[in-house]
Amino acid sequence: MIEAVGANMLLASSGPDLPGVNDFLPPEILFQGTPFAINRIILIRLVATVVLLVVLGITAARAKLIPGRWQGLVEYGIEFVRNNVVYETMGELRGRRYVPMITTLFFTIFVFNLFGIIPGANMAATATVTMPLVFAIWVLIQYWIAAVREKGLWHYIRDECFTPGVPWPIYILLAPIQLLELLIVRPASLTIRLFANMISGHLVLATCLAFAQYWFIEAANKFVGIPVGGLWFVGGFVMTLFEAFIAFLQAYVFAILATVYINLSYPDE
Amino acid sequence: MVTLADGGIDLFIPKVYDIVWSLIILVIVALFFYKFFMPKFNSIFDERAEKIEGNIDKAKKARSDADAAKKKYEDQLNQARVDASKITDDARTEATKIISDAHTRADKEAEQITANAQRSIASQQQQAMVSLKSEVGTLATALAGKILGSKLQDSDVQTNMLDDMIDDLDKKMDSTK
Repeated sequence: MIEAVGANMLLASSGPDLPGVNDFLPPEILFQGTPFAINRIILIRLVATVVLLVVLGITAARAKLIPGRWQGLVEYGIEFVRNNVVYETMGELRGRRYVPMITTLFFTIFVFNLFGIIPGANMAATATVTMPLVFAIWVLIQYWIAAVREKGLWHYIRDECFTPGVPWPIYILLAPIQLLELLIVRPASLTIRLFANMISGHLVLATCLAFAQYWFIEAANKFVGIPVGGLWFVGGFVMTLFEAFIAFLQAYVFAILATVYINLSYPDE
Repeated sequence: MVTLADGGIDLFIPKVYDIVWSLIILVIVALFFYKFFMPKFNSIFDERAEKIEGNIDKAKKARSDADAAKKKYEDQLNQARVDASKITDDARTEATKIISDAHTRADKEAEQITANAQRSIASQQQQAMVSLKSEVGTLATALAGKILGSKLQDSDVQTNMLDDMIDDLDKKMDSTK
């Protein structure tokens, strides 16, 4: 850790203040050393949670039969998740049970992701491995529960690992891979996709802005520094918009994959 | 760069406090969505759908009511038309009857009047005939007296003449009858 800080300081003294991995491993600032320790990212996550609950809570509490613009937008989000994610993937009959779960995932991940471009936070609340992992494990639990309920545990494992119609020697290879898929790969892919997207987004955005700041302020030659810094700033601006899109896209991808995984636990029609 | 690699591994190792906070947040957020947010909006959606359906039903009912009322009015109108034509027919029949009755009665009365007139003419004729007869008798007697007074000498002639005259009168009377 000390070496890393040293390396960063060295970098800072010789060039732009580039973001690094340590941005995602901030020091604990409250309740240090306890299981309730809070660092910068967790603080952002708590703020994001409060914002989510307050904004959507007020919207729901004031919801009227004839929606205003904001309520219309929220309703559009709810209907988007319900119709375009859940019902389209698994049909209304199966899907109704999972609409609240997928809605929770979509809205929470979307808002948490957006904090990556909110000034002051500049860090997605999903930018540690744990938050996406917790979401992914929830999905894992749900699709195992669905499998046990709909097929029975043994039937589910048999269908997935010893898929009928495959010559038996293949099972030697197939069965472990499939079991790994069910237990590890699905949640891991959900987790890493979201987490890595947030990390890379932050790194690219912060790099653009760090270079912009460096060329604007610290470059000795202002004739070169201002145009180059301007280009970096435009890059940062574009990346901000792109990150807003990624925030939505990753929430959508997470929601739809969660739905697909749960749907795979149901028997084929 | 070695330090960065170390940090890179650290990124994928969940910290205890991170797990604790993530779980707390997930539970809070999930409870919020399951217990409040989704039921609230579902009830709004349901209420809205119900209202729209209710309005459609109401419109349908209003339409069927209007149709029923229209049918009723048309039926009434048709009935009225039928009634009116029936009344007209009745009236026409009645009028024809009245006219024919009047005709019959008038004919009868006319016949009666004619008959009465004929009868009275006949009786008057009779009377006239009777009075004429008596007057003729008186006249004849008077005439005969006068003739008798002046030419009594030839009494036979006179008597014959008188008898002839009366016979003639009788004959004339008979022929007129």
